Amino acid sequence: MKIERMNRKRMVVATALALAGLGSLEARADNLPSLGGDVEPWKVDIYYENDTRYRGQDKTGHRVGLSKFRNTLQIEADKKVGDGWAVRSILRGTWDGVYRLNKDEYGEDAGSKSAADVRIPNTAGPVAQSVGLFGPAGSNPLTSHYSATVPYGGGVGFTIVDAIQSQAGLPNLGGPAGGPGINKFIDPNYGNLATPPVGYGSGAGLQLLGQRWNSTGSGVAFAVPVRPCDKDKRGCRDFGGYGDRKLSELEAPEFNDRADFIRELYAKKTFDLADGSNFFLKLGRQQVVWGRTDLFRVLDVINPVDYSRNNIYDELQDIRIPMWIAQGEWRMGGSGSMQERNLQVVWNFDKFRPNNLGQCGSPNVILDAGCFFRGMANLWDNGGTVANFAGFSAPGTPAPVDGVWFATNFGPNQIGIRKVHLPEWSLANSQLGVKFEGVTQGGLNFSVNALTYRSQLPSLRSINQVAVNPFTGAHGNSSPFSGPAQGIPTTNLIAFDVYFPRVNLIGGSMDFQSETLGAAFRLEGALTEGEEFANTARPRLYSENKVFRSVIGVDRPTFIPFINPNRTTLISAQLFYQHIFDHELKSMPGGKVGMPDWENNYIGTLLIKGFVMNDRVSPTLILARDFKAHAWAIAPSVEWSLTDDLKLTFGANVKNRDNQSRWEFDDCRSCNPYAPYTMYTSGAGTQGFAPGSFGLSGIEPLGRFRAGPIGAAWKENELYVTLKYKF
Amino acid sequence: MKLNTLALASALALASASFSTAASAASEADVDNSFFPNKKGFPAFPGLNPGLVINKANVEQFKGAFDPGLFDMVKDGWVEITIGKNSDFPQPKAYIDATRGAKNGDIEGYVAGRPFPEEPDLKDPRAGEKLAWNFKYGVNYGDSGSIYPFYWRYRNAATGQIERTIKFEFHFLNFMHRVEQPPIPEITPNPAKIYRGTYAKVYEPQDLKNTQLLIHRFEDDTKLDDAYLYLGFQRRVRRLATGQTTDAFLGSDMMIEDFEGYNGRTSDMHWAYKGTVNILVPFFNHNEQKLTDEYKESDGYKFVDMHGKGNCMPNVTYQLRKSYILEATPVNPNHPMSKKVLYLDAQTMYAGRVLVYDRKGQLWKNFTIGKSHPDHHLPKNKGSDVSLDDSFSQIDMQAMHCTTGQFKVHIDAKLNPPDLFQVQNLRGGD
Repeated sequence: MKIERMNRKRMVVATALALAGLGSLEARADNLPSLGGDVEPWKVDIYYENDTRYRGQDKTGHRVGLSKFRNTLQIEADKKVGDGWAVRSILRGTWDGVYRLNKDEYGEDAGSKSAADVRIPNTAGPVAQSVGLFGPAGSNPLTSHYSATVPYGGGVGFTIVDAIQSQAGLPNLGGPAGGPGINKFIDPNYGNLATPPVGYGSGAGLQLLGQRWNSTGSGVAFAVPVRPCDKDKRGCRDFGGYGDRKLSELEAPEFNDRADFIRELYAKKTFDLADGSNFFLKLGRQQVVWGRTDLFRVLDVINPVDYSRNNIYDELQDIRIPMWIAQGEWRMGGSGSMQERNLQVVWNFDKFRPNNLGQCGSPNVILDAGCFFRGMANLWDNGGTVANFAGFSAPGTPAPVDGVWFATNFGPNQIGIRKVHLPEWSLANSQLGVKFEGVTQGGLNFSVNALTYRSQLPSLRSINQVAVNPFTGAHGNSSPFSGPAQGIPTTNLIAFDVYFPRVNLIGGSMDFQSETLGAAFRLEGALTEGEEFANTARPRLYSENKVFRSVIGVDRPTFIPFINPNRTTLISAQLFYQHIFDHELKSMPGGKVGMPDWENNYIGTLLIKGFVMNDRVSPTLILARDFKAHAWAIAPSVEWSLTDDLKLTFGANVKNRDNQSRWEFDDCRSCNPYAPYTMYTSGAGTQGFAPGSFGLSGIEPLGRFRAGPIGAAWKENELYVTLKYKF
Repeated sequence: MKLNTLALASALALASASFSTAASAASEADVDNSFFPNKKGFPAFPGLNPGLVINKANVEQFKGAFDPGLFDMVKDGWVEITIGKNSDFPQPKAYIDATRGAKNGDIEGYVAGRPFPEEPDLKDPRAGEKLAWNFKYGVNYGDSGSIYPFYWRYRNAATGQIERTIKFEFHFLNFMHRVEQPPIPEITPNPAKIYRGTYAKVYEPQDLKNTQLLIHRFEDDTKLDDAYLYLGFQRRVRRLATGQTTDAFLGSDMMIEDFEGYNGRTSDMHWAYKGTVNILVPFFNHNEQKLTDEYKESDGYKFVDMHGKGNCMPNVTYQLRKSYILEATPVNPNHPMSKKVLYLDAQTMYAGRVLVYDRKGQLWKNFTIGKSHPDHHLPKNKGSDVSLDDSFSQIDMQAMHCTTGQFKVHIDAKLNPPDLFQVQNLRGGD
């Protein structure tokens, strides 16, 4: 906290010094608002906005109800401070009442009421019962594993593992009489399955990972704490501004240790240079926007984005996270062949912040990633029950990939997310961009961009042998109980640390208009190196890949008489394309192994925006299609300006998908980090002692990358009304 | 003045920027007649004297002093017209001198001043086209000018309800054909040959706040404008397709093409000169008008008030002025209007009154722009010889709806630096 404060102070001081130092250069002094100008008093606008949203049923069939009751007070203040300097400030405070008004869904009472409410798939159960694996049903506590689902904490533990080992003639990993021994799986509380093992904590406040948008089926899943972190601290981590928030911080997210209520605070000035060109300087907390496309962030990556506010559906200006940035722009003017030439340098000297992906248990958790993270962090800290994990096979034989699986009780420090490595503030961790932007003689607008920055998305790198081998209780394969695998480095283990790697980007953009088509065209492209992706074919379960992204957009104002014969309707279409270089994907007996992200992905958007009643009413239809995920979104809305100061917006956001099977991907159950215990077999043979996945698949956890932000939110259909008033 | 009469009119209309004529310097008499039409006295109409109020009761008596659009409005009780004293609206000396010395009579190679200062002749088939060029290259805001604040109001003409108020800042800069403000005659480098830049910013209402618009009009009349929009809520400059000039600008009653009377390519219209008349137009001294206290300015400036039906018309005085009737017929048969009639003020080449007819030939829009003498306005405008836009009214007669504008114009070169008209300037916005 102290370091935080020092960093903030340092930034403010640096800004002030820079302002003071530059004050002596020649500057403009005019008296119209656009021209810098003389000292003028503060001009203050105050806005109030209420955004109320209602969701229908999620994948469980449960009606979600109120999903947002967000009240925002925003104060925008501008002042000319003299000598050509102008200062602008936007202060924003939000209070979202959804956590109190719908506390069963998002607040202190969210999630399960008891462990029995959390039904964790256990596909091996009925099969085990059919063969009488643990004796007749009800004859002993072990037969509790016969059911198709088990409560939280009801997976197989050390007793079953011991039994299997002993039946197989393998080293007895258990203690005497099945008591806890070397193996560190956790036994259920056989005395009362509704009460989880002590280390797991309460069975209340949990949801099954992904239950809101997918069916676990025969895949993996685990219970995720969903209550605010002051109500339930399990799995709480600071993933970079989210993940460890208490109720009051979720309700009022701007009032945090990064002073996010200061949305923007910057000073700007244009200096006239001796050669007739000028230099534009903007210093302070701000948004710097690159690129020419809507929605997609190909070049617009200087500021991270807060997706927790409204997923991808808010205007970017409201969800970019302003950073302390210095931008200088040498506006050179024209030349013999160029109408404009501008060279911009952007230095983001703020302490790193990633995108806010939303804390699990809040209404907007893009890709449901925050739930995966929290659930994984809880698994690391406390252990937990993982659905369909332990393959059912004859003792001493590898499990078949087309088999059934027992829900399994892991102990702490075995799997999950251990630590988040957020880059500290340092000069080396700051981010720098350069852009040359020009207008050619023929009217082509273009930019060439380069940026070195930190990835705003987390990368999960396996920590492998740092984790505890639940079979042996030792780290990696260091124990003699690993048998022939002893000494073989552990790889492909689903235990991670989170990193935000450095990324270098080069790109460009252009726009032009076509008289023949009556349209304006926008193009944008970028190549990055340094981004990291999940990759189950790699020992640390990630790979670094170059990525090319591009967008082509077309805007055409078109007269559509039935909407308005006198006013054009804007039709805007965009096609986003992403290519991952050196993409890895291979077929294994259980399914696809490698990178869940599509090698080539395409997303199309279409916006139709009409204007009626002298632009006081604007009906809008937005369509989006993720071609690879086979998911789509439709967002109709009507904006109605009742007065100049009062605007109402009614709308809906409906999403759907064709089927979810195409999202299934290697879940690393068959990654075989601890042979011989984790080996799988198929008709093609047995994995042996070499780690690497056989491709057992499910939606969780990697299907989210194939579903994308539209597919992963396909059960978050909403109706909403937004009221905005200017005082 | 001889034009190349061999080329087909339609072809010329499509490529009028390039038509070549046998150029000759306008005679001194032509120039004097063009810029000093009141030298021998102001036009007069029997019974029309300063202070007279013309309303539906007495308008028939003065029918000959009205254009048909305004006459009908008075006759139907929309508005009463108060007559002000006649006055001269001299044009900038440098502009007149440029006209005098130029090789005018030829758009190709045009440098500055009024391209065709000769009195239009009904027998000249291209007289309308010449007037259109005079209009395009008119003084307008001089080499540069700005408006702030500039209030637009959308009004229900039937009820008077104000539906929307937009507060703008506007800037204009001629990159070429400059006569007064250095550099003369062109701001260089200007490889794209931009003739004129227009920059606008919106301050109110909330949903349009910080919207900026930049338009580049090119010397090549066949070329579409380049336009860029910075949306405050997107923080991004958006390239616009500018072909749809008949789009209602921000939902107002003004098509983009309607700005300043006509705001399109000369080549998009067939132009016809239909005669010369003395009609009542709102030319006046701002400081002598009944002004409104509604908007507060720190320097005490007050805006022209609105009155009449729905408060759709500027409450200013009118004077009888020599005007040319210029009729524009769209080249594009799908254009929503059948024709536009501009009443070009002979001395200033401003369109004080404009009538727009729909495709059925019915009167659609009634446009009035009020001009103030610069010596009776802001002190800094005194002596500029730029006739100042002071109010406008665009009434959709069929929809019973109007848009009004109230101006505070500044003629001050330093308020319009060339870099304000660069795309990059938009990106520095809030």
